[in-house]
Amino acid sequence: MNKDLTPYSKRKTTFWSTESMLAYLLLLPCMAILIAFMFYPIVYVFLMSMYKTNRIGMLVRFIGTGNFRTLFNTREFWEVTIRSVIWTVLAVSVKTLVGLAIALLLNVDFKGRKLARTLVILPWASSVPVSAMLWQWTYNYDFGLLNYTLKITGLWKNPPHWLGYPLSAFFANLYVDIWIGIPFMALVFLAGLQSIPPNLYEAAQVDGTNLWQKFYYITLPLLKPVLLIATLLSSLWTFNDFNVIYILTKGGPVNSTDILITFIYKYAFTFLKFGPASAMAVVTFAILLVLSLIYARFYFKIERE
Amino acid sequence: MKQKNRGKIVIYILTIIVLLILLFPFFVALSTALKPLKEVYTSPPHWIPHKLWWRNFTDVWIKYPLAQYFVNSFIIASGATVFNIILCIPAAYAVSRLKFYGRRTLLFSFLVVQMFSPIIVVISLFKIFAKLGLVDTLSSLIIVNTVFTLAFSIWMLNGYFSTIPIEIEEAALIDGCTRLKTITRIILPIALPGVVTTLIYTFITAWNEFMFALTLINTAAKRPLTLGLYDLVGRWEVQWQYLTAASLFAIAPVIILFILIEKQLVKGLAGGAIKG
Repeated sequence: MNKDLTPYSKRKTTFWSTESMLAYLLLLPCMAILIAFMFYPIVYVFLMSMYKTNRIGMLVRFIGTGNFRTLFNTREFWEVTIRSVIWTVLAVSVKTLVGLAIALLLNVDFKGRKLARTLVILPWASSVPVSAMLWQWTYNYDFGLLNYTLKITGLWKNPPHWLGYPLSAFFANLYVDIWIGIPFMALVFLAGLQSIPPNLYEAAQVDGTNLWQKFYYITLPLLKPVLLIATLLSSLWTFNDFNVIYILTKGGPVNSTDILITFIYKYAFTFLKFGPASAMAVVTFAILLVLSLIYARFYFKIERE
Repeated sequence: MKQKNRGKIVIYILTIIVLLILLFPFFVALSTALKPLKEVYTSPPHWIPHKLWWRNFTDVWIKYPLAQYFVNSFIIASGATVFNIILCIPAAYAVSRLKFYGRRTLLFSFLVVQMFSPIIVVISLFKIFAKLGLVDTLSSLIIVNTVFTLAFSIWMLNGYFSTIPIEIEEAALIDGCTRLKTITRIILPIALPGVVTTLIYTFITAWNEFMFALTLINTAAKRPLTLGLYDLVGRWEVQWQYLTAASLFAIAPVIILFILIEKQLVKGLAGGAIKG
């Protein structure tokens, strides 16, 4: 066994040092699995995107950028892409605002706050596919309790057939996605709020600031790192939300609720067009890579501070 | 004093509204699961069952292969959890404790990879599994669930390992402890909460997984809970009093587990943005 007793910080990093070798050895099994079942499939998707494929996904003939050109000439692809952007922006904005509001509410000291906090987590804690199924029943036009409740409380006298029409189905999906995403936002913001030193507010109190000024000049600036990282994460999750849309509407009626993630799946496993589906996967991969690089860089930056 | 009380009342009212909205589908599930068939399918519906029909919670186990789905989900989730922890402890130890070329890049890529949607690779993975003869097996789901939780697990564990002062380990090494012993006797016991969090996280993620199951599993007897229930929803003669009861059974264990690790999870995801 290695008995090198120089402190860690003073040791030199060389590729062939015993320490390096031990590290590579320890990483080997994990990296082997990741390479076999994550990196190799990604490379393979890139490959497939440049081939004409048959109905079982076999590579037939190299066509270069052919699949991409077909894709970019399809109107539907652009509709779906734009919808993915709208979907993500709308959902993340609402999640952020509502999450922040709930965090501010739960930051007030009141009896039963702990219980309320635990209950707020439930939409996130629950299994997403199962929640989506429960929502499907909740949205049911004839027997669902949502429309019934909206009617009897007078909030909405004539609620739509939620999952039956393109626009209402889009918002029904969006609502479920937001509903799942709110707890995380609320929890992160709450943690952020609780790390703000209370003496800052006390000092502001002495200076005679009002509630809004306190929020704008103290809370918001100090919450900025939390806000940034949470919205970045949430964008990634929202953009990737397959389960809600697939289970609620399968992207229907007539593809009107598809976003890129569900559209790729549909192209591959329903239409069996593996080539264009792979091309779409490559485009999506690029988008996700950019977003997650921003997230990771930012994460590292604040970690070091 | 009066104003303070009024403020309190406003806070309570707001909290109740928030909770009513956030728990809405769970109330729906509970209401439906306690109604007999006839009451479920009356229009307009009603919230409170006329007669509490507890039998749905026992009947569902007879009417549907719920037990089989539970067993499948349990096999997949525990399998993935075991493999995940075996793979990620050494890896996390390496990135948090050892100096080697490419360490930072590797850590960075774990954080990036964690965010990739499995949809991107499902097309090619399907082909790979077909070639390996693993389509329609629980093993395939154990593998994908291990793979797609690995990056985040390493990331979480790395965070825990890094908080342990290096001096403790150095002292043990000087005393003649081998590297393996420092891991099993010092690092793991201290980082136990982190290990447990990682275990639970993997278990939950695998338990809730849906898309791979949808793609890779054909045989009804091999369906995990999520897919099994989804299949029942898709059927024409769907009976929601049973499905809601089954759903409540399906989410209860993960909700409890999730609440246990929620704080660590938030911290791991938001990193330095949350201090303390």
